[in-house]
Amino acid sequence: MNHTAKAVNDEKKILLMGNPNVGKSVIFHKLTGMEVEISNYAGTTVGFTKSKIKLDGEEIDFIDVPGTYSLESTSEAEDVAVKFMESNPTAIVCVLDSTYLERNLKLALQIKGYNIPMLFVLNLIDVSERQGIHIDIDLLEKELGSKVIPAVAVKDKGIDKIRQELSRILKEEKTTKVVEEKLSNEELWKMASDITNKVQKTVKVEKNILEKLGDKTIQPFPGIPIAIVILLLSLGLVVGVGKALRSFILLPFITDLYTPFMTNIVSRFVDAGILRNILVGEFGILIKGIEWPFALILPYVFLFYLVISFLEDSGYLPRIGVLMDAVLSRLGVQGGSMIPLLLGYGCAVPAIISTRSATSKKERLIVTLMISFGIPCVSQTGAFISLLGDYSILMLIAVYLISFLVIVAVSKFADKAIKGKTDPMVIEIPNLLIPERKSYFRKLKMRMKHFFYDAEVPMLMGVILAAIVVETGILIRVSEWIEPLVVNWLGLPKEASLSLILGIIRRELAVLPLLEMNLNGLQMFVGSVVALFYIPCLSVVAILIQEFNLKTALTIGLATIVSALTFGGIINQIGLLFI
Amino acid sequence: MTLYNLNKEDRCTIISIPNVMLLESLGIRKGLSIKIKNKQPLGGPIILQLGTRSIAIGKAIAKQILVEV
Repeated sequence: MNHTAKAVNDEKKILLMGNPNVGKSVIFHKLTGMEVEISNYAGTTVGFTKSKIKLDGEEIDFIDVPGTYSLESTSEAEDVAVKFMESNPTAIVCVLDSTYLERNLKLALQIKGYNIPMLFVLNLIDVSERQGIHIDIDLLEKELGSKVIPAVAVKDKGIDKIRQELSRILKEEKTTKVVEEKLSNEELWKMASDITNKVQKTVKVEKNILEKLGDKTIQPFPGIPIAIVILLLSLGLVVGVGKALRSFILLPFITDLYTPFMTNIVSRFVDAGILRNILVGEFGILIKGIEWPFALILPYVFLFYLVISFLEDSGYLPRIGVLMDAVLSRLGVQGGSMIPLLLGYGCAVPAIISTRSATSKKERLIVTLMISFGIPCVSQTGAFISLLGDYSILMLIAVYLISFLVIVAVSKFADKAIKGKTDPMVIEIPNLLIPERKSYFRKLKMRMKHFFYDAEVPMLMGVILAAIVVETGILIRVSEWIEPLVVNWLGLPKEASLSLILGIIRRELAVLPLLEMNLNGLQMFVGSVVALFYIPCLSVVAILIQEFNLKTALTIGLATIVSALTFGGIINQIGLLFI
Repeated sequence: MTLYNLNKEDRCTIISIPNVMLLESLGIRKGLSIKIKNKQPLGGPIILQLGTRSIAIGKAIAKQILVEV
């Protein structure tokens, strides 16, 4: 927590605070230009984000504090918020959701008790006005004793005003601190409710089509059929379009144009031998280093983020959580954990980070185990489709069924083995809305950029490692050494030990080398199951150390390797009986 | 009667809530009148309407919230 301690102690700073999911991160991005993760559900900002805001030529620290409902320090997010409140900030920008003024005012009044210069932003006024909620801004200013700026942050409305008002606050003489007595929760609620009644008038309006749809999606019927249709459509888009992109555009380009071209050029300058093989041979860096990441993995990653970002911004994901709560609570976690699980199908790293918003340690650990053991990331999915998709769709489906069984078994086991209790679901369901185009594409761009840095680099290193081990003969020696395991127990060819070596670096690298080995059906299946269970990848081990501790990371790493080899072998031995 | 006994479209006033911080933070408190939006099958959560907002509450907690119709 040194990072927090440092940010807390820095001198001049402005805090951005408010309830979860009121648009703080949007405002933060608009004021600082910094790229931040934004979604339409509570708890997207799980740690704080710090940047600089330029006011009258002066740069001041600006901090996006995670959203909280109160300042009681009952969760990690609230702890962070309280720490910042007590660090003597210069000013606070408090964001209020105009569609739910009362609850937002309760926190606002609690913050106001600290006697720090404040500025209120009444966000989402377009939505509240459409819902027939009218707020008297002048009256609200009088009640709160500070400036209130109406805003529609995603559409840049009110942003300039916030900047002007902040400059004005900073120029003002600091008033001497009067310590007000802290009000009890009951008093705060009463004040919030009184102010709301005074400043707000509501007229009943007909619900618009999105609101009606939003209601329908959380009714068992038609909510569950809608969820099934949405999930199937998403799957179809990612797998179907991904496969089309790969086999009709990217792969022909690589195999028919790029590879011959590269091989030709390299052959002119480099004599046949180890070096040429390392560059353009079977596992040539210049060949596989391009083909694997760009043709086999990238289309699926791009499409996955295209879909999941849309679902996130629309506010649909928590609705799946509500519908799945009855099922998930039998596995020891609550419906809200559906979001990290779904994110895990993209990449385990952000998924594990997002479990921070879980309400208990136990739940965090169970969800992390489900992701680490049983949920293949999108890169690995791409690799599975490359290996199995053309050979047998049924086999591909079987791998996902096994994955599903693993998830259930792991959560059941973890629920029993880990002490403590998980909390039942209590969540606010966000309004359904059509994602704002600009911020949607910004998010997509940001995620693809992350993928290029965080995934392509290790993947390239993996390919380089593969080329070197294969071409220098190291692989043959290692293979001989673990031959009993790979050949006798798993029934795979000797060279498959390459998968086990590379799989430690990246999840899909446990699968991709198998593409070059002319495997039979059983071998492909065994290889896939081993890869599915196998250690989630170095980045995940690193994030497990960061979020939990070294012991947890090593235990998960070891347990995944052991279960991969055990179950892969069992499937092979059973399979052999039938061949 | 507990909140979990109610069904779709029922209205009630909350008499007492268990000591779960998140409930109060979300604005669910004694004396509040609310409408049930719907109830998920197989022991799923119950969904309340609070102003223009919807809040889902798991069965185990809904059973500890006492209400009056």
